Amino acid sequence: MLQIQNLHASVEGRSILKGVNLEVRAGEVHAIMGPNGAGKSTLAAILTGKEGYEVTEGEVLFEGQNLLDMAPEERSHAGIFLAFQYPVEIPGVSMIQFLRAALNAHRMAKGLEPLDSAELMSLLREKAALLKLEPDFLTRSVNEGFSGGERKRAEIFQMAILDPKLVIMDETDSGLDIDALKIVAEAVNALRTPQRAFVLITHYYRILQYIRPDVVHILMDGRIVRSGDASLAIELEEKGYDLLISQA
Amino acid sequence: MESIVQEQLSLEEGAAHLTQILRESRDEQILPVLLRQHVSLQAQQAELGRIFTDQSLKEDWKYTPLDFLRRRWQVKPFEEVSPPFSFLEDWRREIVPIPLHEETPALRSFPEPRSPWEALAVGAPTHRHYTLKRDERLSLAFRNSGELAPLTCTISVSPLADCEVWLCLSGTGFSLLRLHFHVGREGRLRLYIPDRLENQSVYHYFLVTGYLEEYATVETYDLTIASGWKRSEIRLQLGGTGARAYLHGAAHVLSAGMMDAAIRVEHLAPHTESNQLFRSLVEAKGRSTFQGRIYVHRLAQKTNAYQSHKALLTAASAVAYSRPQLEIFADDVRCTHGVTTGFLQGEMLFYLRARGIPEGLAKQMLYEAFLTEVIEKVPSPSLQSWASEEIRRNIQS
Repeated sequence: MLQIQNLHASVEGRSILKGVNLEVRAGEVHAIMGPNGAGKSTLAAILTGKEGYEVTEGEVLFEGQNLLDMAPEERSHAGIFLAFQYPVEIPGVSMIQFLRAALNAHRMAKGLEPLDSAELMSLLREKAALLKLEPDFLTRSVNEGFSGGERKRAEIFQMAILDPKLVIMDETDSGLDIDALKIVAEAVNALRTPQRAFVLITHYYRILQYIRPDVVHILMDGRIVRSGDASLAIELEEKGYDLLISQA
Repeated sequence: MESIVQEQLSLEEGAAHLTQILRESRDEQILPVLLRQHVSLQAQQAELGRIFTDQSLKEDWKYTPLDFLRRRWQVKPFEEVSPPFSFLEDWRREIVPIPLHEETPALRSFPEPRSPWEALAVGAPTHRHYTLKRDERLSLAFRNSGELAPLTCTISVSPLADCEVWLCLSGTGFSLLRLHFHVGREGRLRLYIPDRLENQSVYHYFLVTGYLEEYATVETYDLTIASGWKRSEIRLQLGGTGARAYLHGAAHVLSAGMMDAAIRVEHLAPHTESNQLFRSLVEAKGRSTFQGRIYVHRLAQKTNAYQSHKALLTAASAVAYSRPQLEIFADDVRCTHGVTTGFLQGEMLFYLRARGIPEGLAKQMLYEAFLTEVIEKVPSPSLQSWASEEIRRNIQS
């Protein structure tokens, strides 16, 4: 599904990614762990087309298409979803208005008619229940006044609505208390399918206790320095990055 | 269709010409005798040319284009027309110029002119006075046929009354509207100004003053779609304890349009409260100016006063000036002000695009949302819909 080959990238002339190689297949859950400044969020930003990042070498293919040539909205239509680390507040745009626009843009890209209001509301209510979101949530402005937990749940809610093929979760677990983390993890697990892949970017083992990864990668100084199964995350939790890498 | 090429005056010549025709066109007969002489003297002494020489007037006008002065205007009174909203038709009142006397509240509190514009605007050939009692609604709709149309309007809101006034101007030309209202004890006035300036031959100049007695409340909603030139001067005196004023302005300034808001709220008594909430969305070659002043008198302890103006520019050629001003002479007050000017936040745009919303639509949504912050506070759902639809239509085009 996703193939990253020798990816180098810089921000404002500073080299951040220094040769990332990664392959994610449909149905897999990959966890990318690494210390602050390793390049985890930069990788997420480049995969989703955020401005300000320069790819200096390498390529990224998504289902055989060159991802780097696509606009952010085209990547979304192709099936890539980023759960933001810091979802931005958008005063004046209600969740329902936002989701209608997003969903209908996806449908238009697939040559489908827009959903009518009744169909839209039915879908939104069904998915909101999955995330245990309050009914007034849909009428509020996007992320405005949301608690940290609500914002992260809103991200997963959007994921459930847009039904992507590849989900990139950028430190979704940060700022969540244990109850909110369980709700998010349950929703993600409910959305795991053989067709959908996840890339979980995280600092901590905690979320991986609830969302079990197939592959764990350790990203340090812009490179994936170790990969392994879920036990690698446990080993990392016990030893820390420096010891783990020095013993490798 | 105008086929005559207008003579181009210099700004100074234009100011002198405008001074002369405003002076000549005045009809003071409606004013009480005692006031007439005073007002007449003020008008005789007023010179619009002072905006080029008087330091404080120069400051007030320094960001405002004055090209309208280059034309040789003729005075032609407003024509009263049906209001642009069908629901206002029911509220339309017979125009009954109520005889004024010195004790009419709106005349009692009529302020000394702060500018030659104010001095010259009083006694305009079209003059209306209303006294609004409990729960009355007044809609005033006037059409300018393309020349200079001055109007003086005074409104007295009775104590405990809860009233609405709608001001709707249409047509082309230079409309000069001088409005003063007086709100009695515990009265409430909501002033709506839905204003669409269709093209560059439309000039609207609102000179609004108001006086609030004890526990009176005024809300203003000035919603503007500007392809032409508009200046809204609103000067309120919170004269009674507990008086409150909430001023709202949302302007979509289109290409080559100009919106100039000059606000002054004077807290003259204790426990008064005001909030100025203004937003300007400025398109390429449009221009927005906001001058907001909060004045707190030394006796106005326990004042709460807030001011916020944000301008969002859609292109590098859009211009926005903001000048927040606070003059505080009391020590137990809470005053805040905030001003921002800038382009769309890349983070917001990326968030929408990352969810699949095309860039053009994402920008439209964000531009509309920017003004929604003010529009959603408008109590009239009909006016909310009108403003939202106008803005959406203009953003899409």
